[in-house]
Order: sequence, then C-alpha cells, then structure tokens
Amino acid sequence: MIKKSALLLATVMFFSILLAGCGGSDKAASPAPAAGGKKLIIYTSMKESLISGIVEGFKKKHPGIEVDYQSAGAGKLMAKIAAERQSGKILADIIWTSEVPDFYSMRKEGILEQYKTPLINELVNPFTDYDGHFTAARLGTLGIAINTDKIKTPPAQWSDLLKPEYKGAFAIADPALSGTAYMSVALLEKQFGWEFFEKLRANGARIGKGSGQVIDDTASGELAASLAVDYITNDKIAKGAHMALYYPPELLLAPSPVAIFKGSPNLDAAKKFVDYLLSKEAQTLIAAEGTLSVRNDVKTPEKFKMPEPADALKRSIKIDYVQMMASKEATIKKFTEIMQGKK
Amino acid sequence: MSTSTQKMITPAGNTLAPKSSFGVAQIMLFLSIAILVIVVAVPVLLIFFNAFWVNGEFNLRDVVKIILEPETYKALINSLIIASGTTLGSTIVGTFFAWLVTRTDLPYKTFMKSMFLVPFMLPSFIGALAWKMLLSPHSGFINKFFINHFGFTGPLFDIYSYWGIILVEVMYLFPFVFIQVCGALERMDPTLEESARISGAGLFTITRKITIPLVLPSILSGALLIMLYSMAHFGTVAVLGIENGIFNIPTLIYQRIHQSGGSFDSIRTGTVLATVLVVSAALIIWLQRKILSKGNYQIIGGKSFRPMELKLRTLRIPLFIFCLVYIGFTIVLPTVVIFLVGGLKTYGLPFTWENLSLKNYKFILFDYKVTKDAIWNSITLGLGAALITMFAGGMISYVIVKMKVRGKGILEFLGMLPFSVPGSVIALGVILAWGGKYGINLYNTIWIILVAYIARYMAFSLKANSAALEQVHDSLVEAARSCGASMWQTLKDIVLPLVRPGMLAAFFLIFLPSLRELTVSIMLYAPTTRTIGVAIYTLNEDGETVVSAALAGIALILIIVGDTLINRFTKKAGA
Repeated sequence: MIKKSALLLATVMFFSILLAGCGGSDKAASPAPAAGGKKLIIYTSMKESLISGIVEGFKKKHPGIEVDYQSAGAGKLMAKIAAERQSGKILADIIWTSEVPDFYSMRKEGILEQYKTPLINELVNPFTDYDGHFTAARLGTLGIAINTDKIKTPPAQWSDLLKPEYKGAFAIADPALSGTAYMSVALLEKQFGWEFFEKLRANGARIGKGSGQVIDDTASGELAASLAVDYITNDKIAKGAHMALYYPPELLLAPSPVAIFKGSPNLDAAKKFVDYLLSKEAQTLIAAEGTLSVRNDVKTPEKFKMPEPADALKRSIKIDYVQMMASKEATIKKFTEIMQGKK
Repeated sequence: MSTSTQKMITPAGNTLAPKSSFGVAQIMLFLSIAILVIVVAVPVLLIFFNAFWVNGEFNLRDVVKIILEPETYKALINSLIIASGTTLGSTIVGTFFAWLVTRTDLPYKTFMKSMFLVPFMLPSFIGALAWKMLLSPHSGFINKFFINHFGFTGPLFDIYSYWGIILVEVMYLFPFVFIQVCGALERMDPTLEESARISGAGLFTITRKITIPLVLPSILSGALLIMLYSMAHFGTVAVLGIENGIFNIPTLIYQRIHQSGGSFDSIRTGTVLATVLVVSAALIIWLQRKILSKGNYQIIGGKSFRPMELKLRTLRIPLFIFCLVYIGFTIVLPTVVIFLVGGLKTYGLPFTWENLSLKNYKFILFDYKVTKDAIWNSITLGLGAALITMFAGGMISYVIVKMKVRGKGILEFLGMLPFSVPGSVIALGVILAWGGKYGINLYNTIWIILVAYIARYMAFSLKANSAALEQVHDSLVEAARSCGASMWQTLKDIVLPLVRPGMLAAFFLIFLPSLRELTVSIMLYAPTTRTIGVAIYTLNEDGETVVSAALAGIALILIIVGDTLINRFTKKAGA
C-alpha cells in the first residue's frame, strides 16, 4: 500500500513539474502496475485482529511465502472482484468471508479452484454438497444479545422476544446491508414462518443498520436487545460492555467459507494457506475471538459460554443455500414490508 | 489554428510579437480546455447521456418514471425539505450573529467572530456523529441525563428526524451566511443610516428602509449557497437519516451504487438523480448571480467604515452569555464528546477514569492497518490533488483572465462548470468515465479518487487564482513584453511571482478539505483506498463507535493544526 501511494506521490510530483513547465499532458491515467505477482493475496471480511494473527502465524510456518490481505465488508470485496473480473484478472488468490451465497454463485460462475483439503475428515462440515470449491473455515453463530442493565431475565426461547420487556427495543440488522442478517432472517423464517416476524413487529421490533451497529446500539442502551453476531458481541463484552449473548435451542449458524480463485498464480501457496487456516493452530486463534472453530478438537474458551462445534451444527436450523440465494430479493422485500408496516 | 497568426493587434492596440506568442498562447488554451473537458465536462456529460439515452435512443419517459418511483420521489422531496429548513435556519442564525458582532457593543466581538467561523473547519459528518452520541433517543448522553435526573419518560429530542438533521446542518453551515453578511455590514457606508437618523427616522424605520435592503443581496446569496450545499450534502443525512428511512438525493445515489456491487445496473437511477441535482444546482447558481448583479453594491463601498454601534444596554450581558452558550453547545460540546468517546474501552460505558485511555488512539495510529492506510491515503491524495489542481487552475485562470486568444469563451463556460457540480455527481461521473467502458479502468484504484478530487476542487483553484491574477495589471506584462521579454520570460519573471500567493491559497484551500472529504470518496473507495472520511464513516457503520470516534478526533487535530499553521504561514507570506 505504502509503495503504491509513494508511486502516486512521485507521479504527482512529476506531473506538477510538467505542468509548471507549461507542458504537461492531460491527467494521471497510467494505472499502477501490480507489485510483483508472487505475493499471496487474501480478501477477507474477518476483522483485523483475527486475520493479522492468522497471517503472522502462517508466515512463521512458511517463511518463504509473502502474504498480504485486504479486509473489508463482503459486499465491498465482491464489488472489487466484479470490477477486477471486468478488467480481466482477479488480483486476489483467496477469499474468506461469511457470505455463503456468494460462494455458491462464484462456484456456479466457475471462478473457484477446486481443492479438496486432506483435513476435511477432521472438520465439522456444514455443507452437505461439499465438493472442494469452498470449505467452511469458521462457524459463525448468531444469538440474542441483551443489554444487562435493561433486561434482567436472560432469553431462553426465540419467543421470549415477544415479551413486554423487549417492546420497542429489539432490532435485527438490515438484511439488505448485511449478509449475516439476511441469513438469519431466512433461517428464522424457515423455522417459524413469517408470522414470527409479524409478532415481533407487533412488539415494536425494528430494522437496524449494519450488523455491527445493532450490537453497539445494544451496548449503549439505545436498544435493549438485538440479533447479534457472536465474535463482535464477545469482543465488546470482553472490553466491559454491559451485555450478554444467549442462544435459543434453534441455533442460527452462519459458516464462513474459504476458497481459492481459479487461475491463481500462487496455487501451491494458496493451498498451504487453506490448510493452515483449517489447522488446529489457526482454528485456536479463531476460537479465541469468541466464535466457533470448525474443529472438534478446538474448544472455544470457557468464558464465552458457547456450544461445541458439532453440537452447534446439530442444533442449527438447516437450509438449502441455493434456494436461499434465489429468493434473496423477495425475502428481503417481504421482511422490510412486515417490519416497516403498520404498527 | 493558423488563422490567428494574422491578427496580432490586441484590443489594447499593442502589437504582440508574432510566432512565439502564438505557440504558447494556443498551447495553453488548448491544454486548459483539454483539462477541463477531460476532468469535468466528460463525466458530467456522461451522466446526462446515461440518464437520457437507453440502448442508443433518447428516452424521456423512463426518466420521468424513475423520478416518480416512490423511493426517488421521496428522496427528492426530502432533499427539498432538508435544504429549505437548513437554509431558513442558517439564514436566521447567520444574520443574527453577524449583526451582533458587527453592529452592536457585544463584548469580545473579535473573539466571537472567529469562534463563529470555526464550524467552517469542522466536517459536518463528524458533527453528526457527535450529535448522534448526544441525542440518540435512548442512549444519547443528553437524553439519558434528562431521563435519569428529571424523570422524563421519553427522549428530550430525537436526533434521528428531519428536525435533527436540519439542526445539525444549520450548526455547521450557518457561517456561509454569517461571513457574507458580516462583510456587507462592515463595508456599508454608515452615512446613509446617519442621514436617515438626522432626518428623524427611528431605528425601526432605518433598519427596515436602509439596512435590510442594503444587506439583503448578501443574505440571499449566502442563503442560496447554503441551499446548494445542503441539497448535495451527504454526511449528515447518511449518519442520522438512513437508519430511519430518511434519504436525500446524494444518500440514495450512494445506496444504489453501494448495492450495485460494482455492476452498472443501478447506475441509471443514479444518473437520473444526479441530473436532477445538477439542474437544481444550476438554477440556484443562476438565481444567485442574478441577485448579486442586481444588488446595490455601489453603496457598499470597498472602504472600511466604522459603523455606528447599537447599545445593547441591559441585553448586553444576556446576549453575551447566549453567544457563549451557543458556542459551547455547537462547537465545544461535540468536540469534547468525540474525544471522550474515542477514549472509551467500548461504547456504552460511563466516562470514568478506568474506562478511559489512549488505547484506541494508539491502535488507529500504529496498529490498525485500515486506519493507517486511510490517513496515509488522505494525506497523499490531498497533496496530489492540491498540487495538480493548483497548477492546472493557475494556468486556466491565466488564460481566462489575462490572455486574448480566440476560443476563450468555451473556456469561460467550462470554468464555470466545477462550481455547479456537486460531489456525488462528480463521483458518479468519474465512475462512468473511468470505469473501464472507455478503455481505461481506474475503478477501485486510488487514481479514480485523485481524478475526482481534481474535478471537485478545480473550482477552488480557479477562484483563488483568478482573484490573484485580476490584481496583476496588464501594464506590467505589456511593459515586460515591450522591453523584449518573451511570453515565457514574462510569465516566469513577472506573472508567476505576483500570483504565487493566489496559488498557495489554492493549494491550502484544496489540501485541507480533502483531508476530511467524504461525499466523493465514499462512492469510490476500495478495500485499500479508504480515506479518513470513509474510514470514520464505515467504522461507525460497522458498530465500531469508539474507534470511529477516535479517528474522528485524530482528523479534527489534523485539521485544526493544519488550519492554524496555514493561517500563520499565509499571514507571513502576505506581509
């Protein structure tokens, strides 16, 4: 990055001199050449602390391989990939986000490299149609985060959200903005039907903004409770937020798959990275963030009070991801109509 | 090109040396036109083109259909409501304070005047963030205070509303009116009011018949400026409105582009909305020019008079306190809140010593790649855009103000364009022009933001440079030329030294705002090309409120330090 910006600065200087000399061409247009094709590049929506730790660990294990990563929201990354495809070449070697539907559509478009990791038998695999195009590298969960100053009795069932304690103070992140929010809406709809959302609405539930923001709103007391992603909530709890995270029996599971792009010039290194990501070492780092690993031999630290990976998979609401992807627009529309509809 | 060699007699009657002048002048004109066409005109034209042409044919019905869609229609109405409210509020606040600091015996007037100009420096989206923390209905610090201590059952004020948005915009935009009206009131000839008083008119009559008509053009022109700014304003509405379904035109454009995921499908709605924005901006600018040209400016002389001051008597101290409270509430309080929240371990904790630390600040400055990149990007982009635009603007202004070449009319028209094109329109146009459809794909690189910044800030450079150039009398250049200096020599030895202050001013006028830019970069950023504004906005959107506040605090420090340094520096250079 620094290198690229330095190049920009140099060009600017050069350009200004040109202009000052009253010569000058039109504009700075020449695109920057990519800095060496050897570097392994990872696009991920995992947060900084997690991905940097994993990349450091990988570098230690494979000192010969250069690695860099770009972390951003999954939507932003997909937009970048779409633009890169238009100009002919995807700059990343690996993608690791929590948007399962994106992986299904990328597989369909044929831009993912098939790699059946030898570790697959050691893993908890949520994908019944696994064929090596992508592998779950983390099991995200969503639960009910409550502000402990506002709600005294922990929720045990989804239907607890219909109690007066939660009136006008529960929110679900906007599924149009957040992929995990969309997934949880789809899962809850499958399990309980639209009438669950109608009842929620009758109790004053609303649509929040991003999936991180509803959690911060819960921490601040703007909301009493929200549908919350595990590691974001656990991070804030660890920092002292007055919150707690609870899981009703029907669990919302949002796996984060990892995949290698077809035509990656660093295929060997990419495969090594995927294997490292699924190893006990990297999975322990993942579990330490307050989320679930995909390995049964890695326990999430006791303080987070989270279910075991295999148990979580068993409890989780199952859904057909392909179908879920197809009905995305209609589901979001219906959800928005209900939640913004008449009180 | 060759035809103009014959005409060597300028209107002034001087004979220009042939050959050499032809070359330089023509090249400069050509270059100037080329820069403006490529950087500004092409993106704007592409927006019109994409809005009205579908599959190669003109299609007006679709445009009307898009405008009448409930969502776009609502955004248009919202833009109007917010802009009108903001304009009205800012005009009242701005005029009142301008009158207080120029025409009354309010204590510490100079200090007050400089304080009222501070909001110019503060990015309004950071202000919006601060007010969100203060006044969100259940957790805002002020609302919570009232609920806990005064037994309020509901919030005192809900910032997530039209009123909230308007209030925040007024706080940060009123200086536009304030500065204009201050100028007019200070330059107004007091003999007019004195003669009215001698003739027996009362204060009320004088105000109504003399003062108000004289400053009205300034008030209106400031008000229109605010209207223009507010219509195209992204930050405040994005922070306070989107969540509760309040969209204006720029935020709707952003949302559409954001959801399009890099494809060009949703861009059409964007182009139609952008067209509406450009047309209303053009209308506002036209109105403003009309008012300014009609204004009785001859009476407001250039000399500075000492106007009579109204004795506030018993109101003097209460009004003084009112001003202090206003400054405290709109400037000090939000700034303090930003820094305090930036120091919290996590949002929602009370401000106690054990919860506060400098950890977040250390994190974003030294450990967090996203924010480190953002700071670096903003600084290099700002420097780059400022340097390029300073020189390009200097050259273009020189051609417009000083040169007598054919085809200057086109340049004058093109030079007007950057003034009337709002930031979100530039961003959209740049995506259309440099998104790879026409051979060059800069989308998702830092270059596209640079090109957009150049287009956005060209207006500042043109303004500063032409102001400086207009003060260089033609006779200086003519004297040099008649002594045998070449065009190039004259430029280098006479003109350049004289316009250097103007160019420097242009540099800083561009560098500082680009440090806090949000509207353009939010539409153009990629994972590694975040700017400071984008990082603050996205961190807030991700629920990382404390980190976002800490970065906003760093941005405020950068801006304030930069501003003070520059004031000192330019004062020295000027003296």
